[in-house]
Amino acid sequence: MKIRLLSVYTILICILFSACSQGNNDSADAHVFYYTYSDTYISNVRSALGTAFKNNNISYHDYDSNGNQTTQTEQVQTSITKGAKVLVVNIVNTGSDDASQGIISQAKNANIPVIFFNREVSDEVINSYEKCAFIGTDAEEAGHMQGEMIGEYVVRNFDELDLNKDGKISYILFKGEEGNNEAIYRTQYSVEDANKILKEAGKNELVFYDQSNPNKYLVDKNGQWSAAASNEYMTTALTSYNEANNNMIELVICNNDGMAEGAITALNSAGYNLGSEKKIPVFGVDATDAAQELIKNNKMTGTIKQDAETMSEAISLVTKNAIDGKNLFDGAEEFHSDKSVAKLRIPYSKYITEN
Amino acid sequence: MDNNLNFKNKILAFSGINRREKKKLVTEFLINNSLYIFMIAAIIVIEIISPKFLSVPSIVNIISLSAANLPIALGIAGCIILTGTDLSAGRIVGLVACISASLLQSDGYANKMFPDLATLPVYVVILIALVIGGIVGLINGFCTAKFHLHPFIVTLSTQLIVYGILLIYLMNGNNNGQSISGLDSSYTDLISGSILSIGTTAIPNFVWYSIVITVIMWFVWNKTRFGKNMFAVGSNPDAANVSGVNVTATIIAVFTLAGVMYGVTGFIEAARIGSNSAATGLNYELDAIAACVIGGVSFVGGIGKIRGVIIGVVLLRIIFVGLTFLGIDANMQYVIKGLIILVACAVDMRKYLVRK
Repeated sequence: MKIRLLSVYTILICILFSACSQGNNDSADAHVFYYTYSDTYISNVRSALGTAFKNNNISYHDYDSNGNQTTQTEQVQTSITKGAKVLVVNIVNTGSDDASQGIISQAKNANIPVIFFNREVSDEVINSYEKCAFIGTDAEEAGHMQGEMIGEYVVRNFDELDLNKDGKISYILFKGEEGNNEAIYRTQYSVEDANKILKEAGKNELVFYDQSNPNKYLVDKNGQWSAAASNEYMTTALTSYNEANNNMIELVICNNDGMAEGAITALNSAGYNLGSEKKIPVFGVDATDAAQELIKNNKMTGTIKQDAETMSEAISLVTKNAIDGKNLFDGAEEFHSDKSVAKLRIPYSKYITEN
Repeated sequence: MDNNLNFKNKILAFSGINRREKKKLVTEFLINNSLYIFMIAAIIVIEIISPKFLSVPSIVNIISLSAANLPIALGIAGCIILTGTDLSAGRIVGLVACISASLLQSDGYANKMFPDLATLPVYVVILIALVIGGIVGLINGFCTAKFHLHPFIVTLSTQLIVYGILLIYLMNGNNNGQSISGLDSSYTDLISGSILSIGTTAIPNFVWYSIVITVIMWFVWNKTRFGKNMFAVGSNPDAANVSGVNVTATIIAVFTLAGVMYGVTGFIEAARIGSNSAATGLNYELDAIAACVIGGVSFVGGIGKIRGVIIGVVLLRIIFVGLTFLGIDANMQYVIKGLIILVACAVDMRKYLVRK
């Protein structure tokens, strides 16, 4: 009886595993580690990178580190023993160098190239191993660009935006997570750079809607950059800051488009941003499909586009070079601006409504 | 009338005893009701510092935030009464939210997940949402009851399975892992539209659904044989078995009902937030469990009231809204939440030990 049960189990497991392993080549050359599958932008990169790898005839295997550095480090370890030829790593922990340095020392021992992407790794780490590169954007650039876009938009539409005519624009800002460089830069520069432009135009600087909040931002406590967090903050804020009290929030700045969507849903419930006249400008970053659609429908104002396709093509090219034993940046020199470190920068671009 | 007399007797008895006993009784009262006292004190302090806290829009906001979190807490409360827990709740909410949203994207929305699929009637999708939640709940209950596994383990497993399915689902159709939005107005109107306003403050419709569900759950818990069986199995499964209660069926039914509640939460959540991704529902079960234990639903088993669950949910929301109003550092929210859970459970256990 027991033996029969055992054999049934074994067969079931075999079927399950063989069914699931289709498309994931056992002897894959490139092993790709994503910090989490649940991130929408990273999902964009994942599907674009899959296509790019296929076009370049590179076999690959994807891993989901699920936001956990320990998981990722263990996955890397395992993949090296499995015979990976290149490690493509979207590092989880960007706060310190320990995690990335650990992965590099593992790769060094096995003499395999490592390509980091999207989430920034410090120059010292990249320079510590000659078969190592980083492909990403300039974390500060998105913040600067968002600030510039906001500043220019506000100057253009100042009187229209200043609902209570006090000569100042009050804003709310949603931060994706604490301790993440991208979030920190976006939070800082979006306001600083906008203020610079406002000053030049002779206007007052932006004012945070809630004077008693010293941080001047509201953060997703789960660190998920989530629409739910911004939605709940926004709904709560709108109960005491609105046109009836003459202190309506006049500008919404978000670290990413997911948070922008959550804020817009909250505004919708209050009768704003339904595509008609009553509109509070909402700014995000990423240019997700949903955000582009919202901007087209006049419900959102602007976002910063991170180009997933170009990023993926660059990663795939560098991976190919690594497998072929060529110089890593062959054919991708156009993105290699700072020659002191092996980092490629894919430029951002603005995505905004016409007016 | 009875209560009145009771109270009078108490006062009489109170004035009759000596000082030391009086002091003891007062301390006892303060400890046992510390949560309510804390809640009232917190409300007063927040209101003094930030006077708009008790304005109509703010109160409606607290109510609607609570209403959104109530069904999941009511579901999980049943599992806790069985001395169990349910770690899969949040992920079920996420799965149901994403499926509901994908089936109810408006026609012609450019990034529709299934472009060829016409927007389904809302009522069909409600049914689908409840069934999906119910099925996962059924699996939870079945494995718990039949294999005599602790629900912690069973729901830990289903949590992972459900999350995996959710990730796979999000890569389907045109979606490529994007967040699902662009919902049809028939859906958003039904959930976050409003048929009643106080002054200029609209009360979102889902508040009413939440109230109806709470009433139904109160009825199920207190007035049905199933409810009584649930408490019996929770306090002592062997005794319940001996007295003719079908323990297996009861456990399965409790978890299935809980699953249906997560289905409700997910269906509401999708339209309330408007943008649904794999992160939707993350950690919701922890808030719900916290709300339950704060409200006196005990892990000892067989103890808990609907009233308690409501108070727990509302208290957590008051903390969230209050701290946002005060502009206090978000990190403090964890500390305060943790302390409240700890104190609430300690007080609860104290009452239980006294009774024993």
